[in-house]
Amino acid sequence: MAEQIQKKLQGELEKYQQLQKDLSRAVAARQKLEAQLTENNIVKEELELLDATNTIFKLMGPVLVKQEMEEAKGTVGKRLEYITGEIKRYEQQMQELERRSEQQRETLGRLQQELQRGQGKG
Amino acid sequence: MIPGTSEAGSTYGCSSKLEKPFHAGYSRDLRRVGTANVNKWDLGLVVTSCQEKIQHWKKVESDYEALQERLRTLPDKLSYDIMVPFGPLAFMPGKLVHTNEVTVLLGDNWFSKCSAKQAVELVEHRKKHVRKALDDLQKVMMNFESRAEFTEDLQRMSDAASDFVDIREEIEDDSIGTKGKYRTAHKPHSKPKVSNVFEVDFPVNGNDTKSVGHFQSEEELWARLEELERQETLLGELDRMPGTVETNGEDASSSEEEKEDKRTDLNGTYRAEDSLTQGNFHKQVTNSDLFGGQLNGSTYYHSDDEDDIDVGDNSVPTIFFSHTVEPKRVRINTGKNTTLKFSEKKEEAKRKRKNSSGNGHATPELPNIKTPADIYRVFVDVVNGEYVPRKSILKSRSRENSVCSDTSENSAAEFDDRRGVQRSISYDEATQSDNSEGVLEEEEEEEGQQQPPKKLPPSSGTAEAFSGTVIEKEPLSPSLIPHPVIAHPVLPTILEWKSDEVLSEASEEPPKRISKFKAARMQQPT
Repeated sequence: MAEQIQKKLQGELEKYQQLQKDLSRAVAARQKLEAQLTENNIVKEELELLDATNTIFKLMGPVLVKQEMEEAKGTVGKRLEYITGEIKRYEQQMQELERRSEQQRETLGRLQQELQRGQGKG
Repeated sequence: MIPGTSEAGSTYGCSSKLEKPFHAGYSRDLRRVGTANVNKWDLGLVVTSCQEKIQHWKKVESDYEALQERLRTLPDKLSYDIMVPFGPLAFMPGKLVHTNEVTVLLGDNWFSKCSAKQAVELVEHRKKHVRKALDDLQKVMMNFESRAEFTEDLQRMSDAASDFVDIREEIEDDSIGTKGKYRTAHKPHSKPKVSNVFEVDFPVNGNDTKSVGHFQSEEELWARLEELERQETLLGELDRMPGTVETNGEDASSSEEEKEDKRTDLNGTYRAEDSLTQGNFHKQVTNSDLFGGQLNGSTYYHSDDEDDIDVGDNSVPTIFFSHTVEPKRVRINTGKNTTLKFSEKKEEAKRKRKNSSGNGHATPELPNIKTPADIYRVFVDVVNGEYVPRKSILKSRSRENSVCSDTSENSAAEFDDRRGVQRSISYDEATQSDNSEGVLEEEEEEEGQQQPPKKLPPSSGTAEAFSGTVIEKEPLSPSLIPHPVIAHPVLPTILEWKSDEVLSEASEEPPKRISKFKAARMQQPT
């Protein structure tokens, strides 16, 4: 009886650890996205500061590619939107993961209690 | 700022490395700060990390300052002669041209060519961001610093105050937690405990047993309690017969008292039961086990205080607990349809008194009878598992519970027994409750004496008050009857003897004052 509980506990524990890993991954990804978000915001602002006479380049690999101002602004804007969308997605994912990990925690606690009871009896 | 190429305009710009850590670290810090646990250790960590970041950002800002300076001075000349780095180890002489063309990294792999002045503006814009981050970090650091200081102060205070935070309550009474356990853990014990009686009986003097009992540590007694309880639960509940009381009382009276004495030190509420002579074991669990008016060595009670010690039947005196049971509310029909709480403790004490002739146990086991209602509360019979108020002795039912049935001999032992029995007789005589109490105490004190006067009215002395012997030897006149009745309400045996001849009158005169035994005897022959 105690062994069964132990096995179940192990299984649940692994699931919980997996959830935790996913959660941490999601968190890291979100942080990266946030950094990109701020950066792109700054780019956007600095593009505003520049006028049309300046040539804008985009670094693609080892090549600096010339870009138009409007194109650049558009691209940056799109990138910003993309980043915000990604952040939202990751947020939702994180919430889901948190919820599931909470459930796992409860299950683990219950199993632990059972195990202790079983061990106590035996 | 990267030194510009020799041909193209100078290129500069914060490397994305700078930008990214700026933002990532910033956001990371904020996130971390937002979720940091507030405890001393964490606060310290947060504060130090904040300080590090502040240092970092300050460096960045100073770099930007230097960059701005360079940008301002760069366009002064059309070209500069410089030593151009050639790989990590070599330099080459070269010229810095197009001093006004600056390729600025805007971030996220975006570049733009702009003039030096525009570059300066961009740098200024970046510096704004840096300063914002610095300010936030400073604020956070200040907050956490204050909190850390507070916790430090608190710790210092608590340390100085010898750690009053740590409050420990040592529960010495294990019976509460272990009651259920005791109940279920039965040890098979079939033999009544004889040694207990013996070891108790040896010292005639109550003091000896007390000392005997005293050497047992509390833990041992608790263990004994446990064992006793288990035994009893194992053996099951046995109804006590009235007849057994006397026989029991003879053997167990003193022993019980002794045991009780022993245990009173532990817990005034526990009762040592001597089940040896009877071989009766009572379950210690339910209130229904309690028998009113019937006293056996093995009876036990559920006290309000939860600790009932039943003497087991092993060679080792064991003490059982009984669980804490709220005293059952026994509807005692006192004529007013009142309900009095059945106090097991009092029942126990009563039973003890019944059994033990020289009741040596201490006052705590006495029923605390202070009012007439207490009497009804204390002396409640248990009939068929139900609590029935002890009826008047004049009623036929009381005869069933009459404890005192054997009053033929006039021996000291019997006296003791009778004394115990009488003590256990319900004090239906409300008026004499106090008196009986006092008498009981006196009796207990005199437990050691072989021939103690049975009951001494508190006012009178010892020997002279005890008219029992006198009464027994002679057929007493009615006049004598009321006297003992009044003086010794708990001496039914004496009265019983008289009752055959005279008590009939006495019983009627003060109906309350006549013990039920007397009344029973009165009615029996008739």
